[in-house]
Amino acid sequence: MLIFQTGRDSRRFGWVILFLTALVPVSLAISVSLGSIPIDWGAVVETIRTGKSSVDHTIVFELRLPRSASAFVVGASLALAGVLMQALLRNPLADPYVLGTSGGAAVFALIVMLSGLAYQFVSLAAALGAVVSLALVIFLSRDSGGWSSTRLLLTGIVMASGWGALISFFLSISQQNQIQGMLFWLMGDFRDRGPGLVHYLTLLVVLIASIFASRGLNLLVAGTLKAESLGVHTLRLRFAMLIGAGLLTAVAVTLAGAIGFVGLVVPHIMRLIVGPDHRRLIPAALMMGGSLLVITEMLARTVLAPRQLPVGVITAFVGVPLFLYLLRRGSRQEMP
Amino acid sequence: MRSNGAVVGTLTAMVVGLLLALRVSADVAVVDDSGTRISLKSSATRIISLAPNLTEILFFIGAGDQIVGAVEYSDFPAAARKLPMIGAHNRFDVERILSLKPDLIVGWLSGNPQDGLQVLKQLGFPVFISEPSTVNDIVSLMERLGTLTGHQSEAVQQASNFRASIDASRETYSKRRPVRVFYQVWEQPIYTLNGDHVISHLIDLCGGRNIFSDLEQLAPVVSLESVLARDPEVIVGGGIFGQKPPWAERWESWPTVRAVENKHIYAIESDHIARMGPRLSEGIEALCLVIDKARDNS
Repeated sequence: MLIFQTGRDSRRFGWVILFLTALVPVSLAISVSLGSIPIDWGAVVETIRTGKSSVDHTIVFELRLPRSASAFVVGASLALAGVLMQALLRNPLADPYVLGTSGGAAVFALIVMLSGLAYQFVSLAAALGAVVSLALVIFLSRDSGGWSSTRLLLTGIVMASGWGALISFFLSISQQNQIQGMLFWLMGDFRDRGPGLVHYLTLLVVLIASIFASRGLNLLVAGTLKAESLGVHTLRLRFAMLIGAGLLTAVAVTLAGAIGFVGLVVPHIMRLIVGPDHRRLIPAALMMGGSLLVITEMLARTVLAPRQLPVGVITAFVGVPLFLYLLRRGSRQEMP
Repeated sequence: MRSNGAVVGTLTAMVVGLLLALRVSADVAVVDDSGTRISLKSSATRIISLAPNLTEILFFIGAGDQIVGAVEYSDFPAAARKLPMIGAHNRFDVERILSLKPDLIVGWLSGNPQDGLQVLKQLGFPVFISEPSTVNDIVSLMERLGTLTGHQSEAVQQASNFRASIDASRETYSKRRPVRVFYQVWEQPIYTLNGDHVISHLIDLCGGRNIFSDLEQLAPVVSLESVLARDPEVIVGGGIFGQKPPWAERWESWPTVRAVENKHIYAIESDHIARMGPRLSEGIEALCLVIDKARDNS
């Protein structure tokens, strides 16, 4: 499969990147400006100048900004993880959770909730669960030749089903008041804390690594054998992608529970717009995923205010019609 | 000698003065159900209620017009429906709460999200967390909220009336012939309650015996066969008191159950019996009444 880089293509890509680079701060600004309460910006500025506290300043800086930052990090992480998964498994239906990582995260999180430990441990448990699930899949799907896409996918799907069964079991044995908290987490939602340094760093590191590996990713999509013959260390690359995607998924579920559709749909949208070259696709998907989730998060807390909707529900409402539309339209450049 | 006396006298005066000052400055202080001490400079006048039962209690003790916002389903008394809504008890809108500038937030430990309560505390609001699980807990809650809202004497009086009404039911019914009761929380799957649940204690108060009191889980799912095997004399569930409940039809296929045979299937208002608030006394009256009806066929 050849990737054309005509002059027209490059110019178009330039515009797209410019648009996305502007979209990120714009979406953050919109998200911070809108909510269930209109903000008096004069009071916000006043507080910044004089230090006198105001409700408006608190809402903007202690509620909306951390949530928007989390939304961006989660959206970007999931979109990037989705790109990596789709390249790794050479399957357009792959998303960050296809290998069971969100299921593992959920099971560990539910165990902590059932055991009555402090809720701060839930996030930690979720991250651990994602990593453990990934490790299990890696271990179980290995054969003499490494990891074939098919084996990975099948192992992952079975793991995901297994975790799903455990989730149902935990829900069935838990008390009424515990179920509330569990469903809250399973539907995917943001807490009012912002992302920590570790979340930002993970995203940055995996992003940089992915861009460096872009050429390899492009060739990988054509087939492992072909890529090997063109000098790509496929085993190393695929292992690294698996780890990278797993870490990104862990970051996402730690911050926001299981939010679906972003990891599946955003890579496809951007592939339609900028093409399958990963050097373009990766930054484009990241920015689009982040901005999209920022806007979705804002909608979830504004649309029916004061009723607060879980973000995972809004992404489904947006993602399902969008994905169906994309499927019908067909992609201009097919995935092999 | 004289200088010692002067020193002691001054010290005493200082200590007394300090104690008086402390008493005046920490004017309104109680301990909530999570062990946290909540102290306000003066009675709360802008209260946010994070649970429907708490809204009911606040109105009951005379603090209804001091509430500035309440969660969804705060539907009793009628005046409560006019309160600004701030979201659901498990997913409330912090921005809206902030904009209402409360000086006290009353929450519910097992019903509100821990994160949400934490955020409110971090933003500097006094958050009184409640978790009543017995009649005594409700009485104590009423009295403590009375202290925080400046309605101490009214709250004590109302709480005392509440307790008296429940004691009256206990007096009347608890010594009567025990009746096997099946309390159905939900129809499909069949949810019931074990002996640790407050409603089970109320069944005891009415002279009934919860047929599933021995189970481990607080709100277990049970099989149809187990209900048939334990053969309750009366089946009670949620619905409109005095009317035949819609879920009764399903039980009518099982006439071997004594409750079905003698037509002792009753509904009581679930808001009365399930909300830990002032209407629990009405719920108990209704519960005892229907259990008593099953006593007629001995």
